[in-house]
Amino acid sequence: MEYLVQMKGMTMKFAGVTALEKVDFDLRPGEVHVLLGENGAGKSTLVKILSGINHPTEGEMTIGGKPFTSLTPNMSKENGIAIIYQELSVIDELSIAENLYVGKLPTKRVLGIPQVDYTTMYAKARELMDRMGIHRKPETLVQDLSISEKQMVEIAKALAVNARILIMDEPTSSLSVEETDNLFKIIRQLKQDGIGIIYISHKLKEIKQIGDRVTVLKDGKYMGTVDVETVEVEDLVPMMVGRKVQERFLRTTPIEQNPEVVFSVKNLTRRDRKARDISFDVYRGEILGLAGLIGAGRSETMEGIFGVQPISSGEVYLHGKKLHITDPYSALKQGIAFVTENRRETGFFQNFEIWKEISVTTNLKKSTAGGFTGFTNEKEEREQAEVYSKKLRTKCSSIDQMTVNLSGGNQQKVIVSKWLAVDSDVFIFDEPTKGIDVGAKSEIYQIMRDMVDAGKGVIMVTSDMAELLGVCDRIIVFSNGQITAEFMNADATEEKVLYAAVAAY
Amino acid sequence: MESVKKNKLTFGTYWERFGTLSILVLILIGFSIASPSNFLKPANIAQIGMQSTIYTVLAFGEFFAILLAGIDLSVGSVAAFCGAVCAKLLLAGCPVPLAVVIGILTGLVMGAVNGTLINLLQLHPFVVTLGTNTIFRGIALVMCNGKPVFGLPLGFKSIALYLWGFPIPFLIVLVMAAILIWFTKYTVAARNMYALGGNKQSAWYSGINTKKFTLFAHILSSTFAGMAGIIMTARVGAAEPTAGDGYETYAIAACIIGGTSFFGGKGKPFGVLLGGILIGMIFNGLSILNVSSFYQKIALGVLIIFALALEKIVSNISARTEQK
Repeated sequence: MEYLVQMKGMTMKFAGVTALEKVDFDLRPGEVHVLLGENGAGKSTLVKILSGINHPTEGEMTIGGKPFTSLTPNMSKENGIAIIYQELSVIDELSIAENLYVGKLPTKRVLGIPQVDYTTMYAKARELMDRMGIHRKPETLVQDLSISEKQMVEIAKALAVNARILIMDEPTSSLSVEETDNLFKIIRQLKQDGIGIIYISHKLKEIKQIGDRVTVLKDGKYMGTVDVETVEVEDLVPMMVGRKVQERFLRTTPIEQNPEVVFSVKNLTRRDRKARDISFDVYRGEILGLAGLIGAGRSETMEGIFGVQPISSGEVYLHGKKLHITDPYSALKQGIAFVTENRRETGFFQNFEIWKEISVTTNLKKSTAGGFTGFTNEKEEREQAEVYSKKLRTKCSSIDQMTVNLSGGNQQKVIVSKWLAVDSDVFIFDEPTKGIDVGAKSEIYQIMRDMVDAGKGVIMVTSDMAELLGVCDRIIVFSNGQITAEFMNADATEEKVLYAAVAAY
Repeated sequence: MESVKKNKLTFGTYWERFGTLSILVLILIGFSIASPSNFLKPANIAQIGMQSTIYTVLAFGEFFAILLAGIDLSVGSVAAFCGAVCAKLLLAGCPVPLAVVIGILTGLVMGAVNGTLINLLQLHPFVVTLGTNTIFRGIALVMCNGKPVFGLPLGFKSIALYLWGFPIPFLIVLVMAAILIWFTKYTVAARNMYALGGNKQSAWYSGINTKKFTLFAHILSSTFAGMAGIIMTARVGAAEPTAGDGYETYAIAACIIGGTSFFGGKGKPFGVLLGGILIGMIFNGLSILNVSSFYQKIALGVLIIFALALEKIVSNISARTEQK
């Protein structure tokens, strides 16, 4: 059989550190080959070799039968490799068709002057979009599309240049259940067309659903390649992390009869009405899960509670005492913590080292007048950063490393540290394990469990069903800006939650 | 990754810390060789201090606007306006300390106007201060009827004298620099401004009141501009409503030569101080060499681009060598 990609003994060293050590990898036409490994295992390094960003120190590869020792980004494209990154690279201000053919717009000559041939471009785009199931007009601006549609455009863009090798990095991390199903449908179709797909994901469940073969990497080393049919996904986890991972993080002891209410929200409505008349309690000793589709009002409610976005009505109580939250500063001061969904945009500071990152909140908490008073204490800040980096096992060269240079999981740990350090009473986690590897996930669940045991209120917004059912003691389902159902974990099933999530649309 | 030690001095980190200083020393050596008899005279060194004062004080304020990934184009006009207010008060018989304080407070109010407009209209500081620059200049011209205000008391003009051969204005600059270095290193307010400059959204979600700090940065910017205006007035001995026209260029130049990032969140007052001195030194040295002021402008422009290009080249080289 002709391989699309064959890599043998790939080794990659940066400044004396081995990021990849003698890794073998191959890709056949029409298969989904999953790359599995914790953050920092070497998946990105391997992918960057294929995209021509990294030049391997040792090893040989063939792409479509042609031998190479290393690639450049242009060579990568010319040989049919395309990458769909987690952060999509479509251009919002252009139309779908323009995005598909950007850089190679079809042209025609009018009076000898070359200009864009819109008729041809729209027709070609239409054809491609039909194949992908994008039911939009080709002239629609990309900014008007949903994330999932943008992703489809991104994939279509790869097909427009006849890519044979498609690399997908965590493609489902921002998608809802239906959107994921739709993506899988497209992937199966691509397989039939003989396209090979390298699929990077932390979601073990997806491997069974979509994968044909799995290659596991650990600390840059090759752990083996297996056929998905022949293994149980649980068996792959120890290969990745080198230790047995506990799947469920539920309470082990039953919740008492009349548990104390730690935190409650009463009749909260956002000014933009993206969440309406939301009321719920958080009890002592539980992790409360908020389920629903993207945009159902979960994150929107949390932003309202935290004072990020204005609310038109509603009250918030902590231990029965009414809170007065006007902005995030007052929320922080009154003991609320918010670990946001988008680390890069709203989570950390691109110009800060880990120790400065963590002390932003602690300094604010100590200060008065909206953050204007008070003094920093580098020694204390560093000590605090050391403590939390150790406690959360943040992988970094030192606390002087820039947060932006850490892997996604470790960035998240730094952000969690930031809120742990201010000793908040209520922790809101919005998709806390998005794009994070299995090992780090368990650690974050354990941190949440520890918070609960210490009497804190913990709320988790999650779109990951396994996480919802495996971690949350009680589940509230949002649908179209309202709450439609509530389940104790024992009564909750995937079907019930999904049914409630679509109930109000 | 373990091999990257905290204090490992790569060329990149060297440049970040000592880049401006290196350029300063190089140019100092250059002028000393070109004009050995005049340039290094104590009197001329003092003169450089005097000459760089206005640029540096303006740059200290500008630093905060740029730190927040913004800009303040109105500093030159604010300086002229505050100088004029101060001069008018002095002529009306107001005691010197009071006139100075009111002059500085005028700057504060103008900064508040800038900051409030930026927050309220959600416009980029570039647009707002581009507008207020002209407005403030116009008000100054109206107030002085377009003519310089002469006849200021000696007590006021002594602000710009020499004390045992040392220029008092430059002494003020050093005190300001010391305060700012302390402020940026040890206060929560300054740390929050670095955070805000690094990522505005993250700052808001972390509890930093982005609007209040934007207002604060512009108040600082204009207050320093006000102080620069008063020193300028004292030195010239008259308040000229057209004074400081185009000085925002020097203020911005001093900041970026001193290592302040245009993208926000990066920079140090010490670098800004060096940047200001550097500009004063170039003008002074070229004057000594009898280079016309037209060519001096060209030289400054070349230096701005050269300093930043060099930084870019150096950081690219160091990034490449680190990878290997």
